[in-house]
This record gives sequence, C-alpha cells and structure tokens, in this order.
Amino acid sequence: MPFLIDCPNCGRRSPYEFKFGGECKRAPDPGADVKAWCDYLYLYENMSGVQDEWWYHTMGCRSWLKIRRNTVTHEIIEE
Amino acid sequence: MPTSQPVLRYKQPEKRYDVIVIGAGLHGLAAAYNLARYHRVGRIAVLERRYIGFGGSGRNTEMIRANKRAHETLPFYKESLEMWDGLSAELEWNLMVQKKGLIALAHSDGELAVMRMLSDSQRRAGIKIDMLGPEEVKKMVPSLDVSDKPALPVAGAQFHPEGGTVHHDAALWGYAKAASRCGVDICAGVEVTGFYVEGGKVNGVRTNVGNIAAGKVHVAVGGYSSEIARMLGVKYPVVTIPMQVMTTEVMAPFLDYYVASPRLHWYTQQTLKGDLILGGQLDPWQSWNSSTTWQECSERVAFILEYFPDLAHARVVRSWSGLCDCTGDSAPVMGPSGIDGLSLDIAWGYYGFKSTPACGKYAAEYIATGKVPEKIRHFGLDRFYNRQRVREIII
Ligand SMILES: Cc1cc2nc3c(=O)[nH]c(=O)nc-3n(C[C@H](O)[C@H](O)[C@H](O)COP(=O)(O)OP(=O)(O)OC[C@H]3O[C@@H](n4cnc5c(N)ncnc54)[C@H](O)[C@@H]3O)c2cc1C
Ligand SMILES: [Zn+2]
Repeated sequence: MPFLIDCPNCGRRSPYEFKFGGECKRAPDPGADVKAWCDYLYLYENMSGVQDEWWYHTMGCRSWLKIRRNTVTHEIIEE
Repeated sequence: MPTSQPVLRYKQPEKRYDVIVIGAGLHGLAAAYNLARYHRVGRIAVLERRYIGFGGSGRNTEMIRANKRAHETLPFYKESLEMWDGLSAELEWNLMVQKKGLIALAHSDGELAVMRMLSDSQRRAGIKIDMLGPEEVKKMVPSLDVSDKPALPVAGAQFHPEGGTVHHDAALWGYAKAASRCGVDICAGVEVTGFYVEGGKVNGVRTNVGNIAAGKVHVAVGGYSSEIARMLGVKYPVVTIPMQVMTTEVMAPFLDYYVASPRLHWYTQQTLKGDLILGGQLDPWQSWNSSTTWQECSERVAFILEYFPDLAHARVVRSWSGLCDCTGDSAPVMGPSGIDGLSLDIAWGYYGFKSTPACGKYAAEYIATGKVPEKIRHFGLDRFYNRQRVREIII
C-alpha cells in the first residue's frame, strides 16, 4: 500500500477503496469568458509536490474528501 | 559494426547554441538528429538532467502499432509505423524491429462491434486490419484459453499484422549515436531550471551548470512537462500518472504475437530473449512516484493467468514504472507553445514510443521552418480552446 487515507467517517483506509478525483481547482466567476472556462476545464497545475486533491470513498461512506498529498513521496499532510 | 571508438561521448555544454533540446529521451534525440541531418539550423545541444533514456524511453513495453481511432491521428501513427522499417539502415544500428503482429482480444459482442467500427476507420486510413474468430485466434496462439472458463471468455479479436516491437534501448543508442555523429552535443547531468524570455521570445535557459543562450528551445521532457510549465508560469493540459510493467524469467519460445485485452487492461509479448513483458495499466491516481505496487502486479498477473493458465509456474523477476503525462483526449501536444522560439513535443502518455520516428521528423521540420506540418496540425494547444479536441480512444 503506497499510503493510507484518513477518512473522517471510516478511519484510515487503503487508497484502493477510493476513486481519485483530481487536483482541487478554483472555478472562474460565472461571467468569465470562454478562455477562462477552457483553462479551468483542461489545464492542470499537475503538481510534483504538495497539492490539495479530491478523493471519493466509493467502497466506504461514499463521501468526497479533500486530502493534502505530496505526489512525489505519497506523504499525506494532515492539518 | 565492431569499433574501438566509444559510441558517443557526453559533452559539457557550450555557452551558446542555435537550438537547445530539453530531454535525452527518444523524442529529444530524434528531433536533434533530424535537425542536424536534414535541416540547416547551426549548433544543437540536447540537455538531459539524468542520463540517456532515464524517462519513458528506457521504460516502455516497446509496442509499435497504428490501430488507433481518430482521423486526426491515424495518418501520423501509420507513417511512424512505416518509418521504423528503414530506420536501422538510416541510423546504422540494428533496432531489432519485429513486426510480429498484434492481437487485441474482445470479450463480448459489444466490444466486437466497437472493434469493427475501429477497424473501418483504420482501413480507411490505409492500415491493414483483420477481424478474427476465437478458433482462428486459438490457431495463432495455441496457449491461449478461448474456452468458457475465463469469467470473460474470448469472443473474437482484431489482428493488426504490422504491429509489433522495437528494442527501445537499441532505438535510444541508434538515435544518440547518429545525432552525435551529425555534430549534436549530448550533455547529461544538465538540468534546465528556468527560461529567459523577453518580449514573448525565448533567449535561452538557466541550468545547474550556468546559463546557455539559444534562440530556439524544444521541450521533449516526457512525463515531466508540467515542471517546465511551472518554470514558464503556465499550465499544460496534462496529468502525470505512472504506469507499471514487469517481466518474467526466460522461457522457451511459445508466443509469436503481441496479445492484448483492451477491456481488461493487460497485454503481453515474449521478447526475442524469451522473457514475457507483462503490462500494464495506468495507476489509479496522479503521482510522480515511480515505485511499483503489489496491487498492480497481482491484478495484472491474475488477469493474464486466466487466459494463459500454463504460465502458472512462471516467475515474475522484475517490475518497474515510468511517468506518463496524459491529456484528457489521449492525443499529444506538439508545435507552438505560445512563446516565440519555444516548441513543444509533450503529452505522449503511454503511446510515445511508437511515435518516435514521426515525432522526430515533424518536430525538426517545425523547429527549422516555424510552420506547423500538416501531419501534426491537430496536435496543438489551440485545440482545447476551439472545440477541436481529438476523438481518440483510450487504449
Ligand atoms: C511503463 C511504460 C510503458 C510504455 N509502453 C509503451 C509502448 O508499449 N508503446 C508506446 O508507444 N509507448 C509506450 N510508453 C510511452 C513512451 O515510453 C513515452 O511516451 C516515450 O518514451 C516518451 O519519450 P520522450 O522522449 O518524450 O520522454 P522521456 O523518454 O520520458 O524523456 C524525457 C527526458 O527528459 C529529461 N528531463 C526532464 N526534465 C528535465 C529538465 N528540467 N532538464 C533536463 N532534462 C529533463 C528526463 O530526465 C528524461 O530523460 C510507455 C511508457 C511507460 C512508462
Ligand atoms: Zn469513508
């Protein structure tokens, strides 16, 4: 197991129980132009390092969690 | 060709070049070779922070094929597949090109229908493709279980006779040697850490061994492209995901073809040496960590054993992983970067090995002429803004 995810509902669980939901992005304002929306949809910071990201606990409580993870070392950073 | 000379020497970079290529993977080396051989662009250097073939180019499963889907990409993959034929002679190095044929299994009528649709697009692009029934597959691959025993039995297959393999290390050395012979400086241990951009035009790069000036810089860093983006203060439409693969011990020859199950995400071939290469699925999450996992290994092996039960005795001897920078539409990014003089050849995911010869040719043409060649017209970053994303398949 490369790392464990601490689900507030289910405790420390294998990441294979989850579906990875990608990096957290900030949506543009509703009135933003098409370019801003394309940037939001298609571009990624794709961080080699610490990032905030979404995980969905498919085989557990079925909630979305926000996790801070180092994508190089797999270390989970807890606040 | 026996020789007492070393095949090439790593160089210390000079202070100024006409073209700098970042990354001594196959794409960077092929671009540099094509530039030096076919275009007059002056002095060329390839800067590599680790060593030749450190990235995907030294880690891939060597599969070459053209049975993709999109009309935007098929002619490109077809040309690249054909280019491998003449490459050993051109580079004066045996690349061990072996077009042994690729069999992609279907496990249901629905999948067969999709394969027939794909086959039609591929044939229309001039690619040879046949559909096979389970009995025909059994004749070609006697060790394959086509009975009802597997949970998802073999319902038929698509046969791509010109698909096959090329030895990836041979390809790396072939391109590196040939580029070096044509006067390209290949500099290992040189990491690009920043860019000099003035008035929207690139002037050079910053490295761990000092600044290097160049009017043209070509980015061919494989899975690491987003690190380049951060140096430039931009983002690219890619997510980096590792792919893991493994090999078995050497066995007597029993498998003549590359066999794959697109549905179950496994593929295998027996190399000329006799070991089986087993792959491969992208890891289930984004990561820049190329360690291997028990989960991936056991899942891949369990699937393959369902179809090749005789392999139960075979031992896995080695596994490894490499980083793939993947776009949402499974097509690459080639051409302009938005900065004058800075060109891109990135986002090749897990399909960049087969594409090497054509990438080298067209990247060089773009760098030399500044005009986007027709064959890579659909690969630009602009497609994400004008609703021209490529309708590629994900296998
Ligand atoms: C396990 C695996 C299996 C695969 N199987 C296949 C297959 O069967 N068929 C197929 O077609 N494709 C396959 N691929 C994909 C293929 O390997 C890649 O698309 C291809 O090798 C990319 O080549 P490249 O030259 O662009 O990048 P790479 O080979 O990754 O080279 C990039 C180089 O850039 C260097 N670099 C990065 N950042 C910097 C910097 N800042 N400064 C200096 N140098 C830098 C790196 O060290 C690296 O050596 C597979 C990939 C993997 C990981
Ligand atoms: Zn939970």
